[in-house]
Amino acid sequence: MCDSCGCDLVNNHNHSHEHDPQVIEVHQSLLAANDAIAAQNKAHFEAMGIVAINMISSPGSGKTTLLEKTIERLKGKIRIGVLEGDIETDRDAQRIRAKGVPVIQITTGGACHLDAAQIHKGLHLLEQEPGGDQLDLLFIENVGNLVCPATFDLGEHQRVVLVSVPEGPDKPAKYPKAFISSQIFVITKTDLLPYFDFPVAEARADALHLNPRLQVMALSATSGEGFEAWIDYLETVMQ
Amino acid sequence: MHEMSLVQALLTQLATLAAEHDKKRVITVTLDIGPLSGVVVDSFQFGFDILSAESNLTKGAKLIITNPPATYQCIRCGHRQTSLIRPDHCPECDETLLIPEGGDGIILNKVEME
Repeated sequence: MCDSCGCDLVNNHNHSHEHDPQVIEVHQSLLAANDAIAAQNKAHFEAMGIVAINMISSPGSGKTTLLEKTIERLKGKIRIGVLEGDIETDRDAQRIRAKGVPVIQITTGGACHLDAAQIHKGLHLLEQEPGGDQLDLLFIENVGNLVCPATFDLGEHQRVVLVSVPEGPDKPAKYPKAFISSQIFVITKTDLLPYFDFPVAEARADALHLNPRLQVMALSATSGEGFEAWIDYLETVMQ
Repeated sequence: MHEMSLVQALLTQLATLAAEHDKKRVITVTLDIGPLSGVVVDSFQFGFDILSAESNLTKGAKLIITNPPATYQCIRCGHRQTSLIRPDHCPECDETLLIPEGGDGIILNKVEME
């Protein structure tokens, strides 16, 4: 050891060999740092009296449209705020801002998911927006991706996974983690069912096979079909 | 490719541990990656190979990954079974709805350093 560590170059050889191999037991999650911030976020939400919902889906499944319709429907009744996650652009935030609710765009600059630290920062920015410190319900629209966001707790109270009819019914079976970790599975764009082969019962069964506790609903934000079940769900989690 | 973020979290943890224990080089890293963790082990290994080479602390370190099974509890009779892959049904009552428990951990178990 002494021929490689440099001890032989000095006269007083009195230090202990702390760089001898040593096995250190850790037993800590790689997500521990994220989860600690997520717990702080949750405490922050609760101190503000907010219910937070994390929305996870592929790109283009209709998350933003569902939010637009939800804001219209609940305006004047429930104070809604939104944190928008995207890799680039603030287009989704512009759509939400046009509905007159406080919104902050979080651009991840390439990262495929939101993490708890981004929500922590986003929440502080949201509080500075007009009305942003007086909210009942916070939607976190995650980066469009059915895989990566599922691993990162943001401190949310509820996690919603969405699949649109054009994507096909095999998504639960192919991307199980998002369905196992969610409380609600929303099938969107049901107005397109006549044009696509999407057996709703099969998608529902596959999702329940993964997570028997999952609540499943099917709706079209455009036609309004099934939308009341979504509103009922939101009103239930607000209580 | 969120495995890269997880590898970065691992490297941060290793740097902290090395500083705490006054170590200069990581020899082996032992991790549990559960079957329901949403992590692709090959992608994690790939990310580790790329990012670990960037620092003298972790250059050449060996990654040892173990896959602990998840537990599945039958929604009807409560029977529990452990498995690496999702079982189709309960062996006791044939019910197909099984609630997964655990198996989603990404745990740094131990590190050998010098």
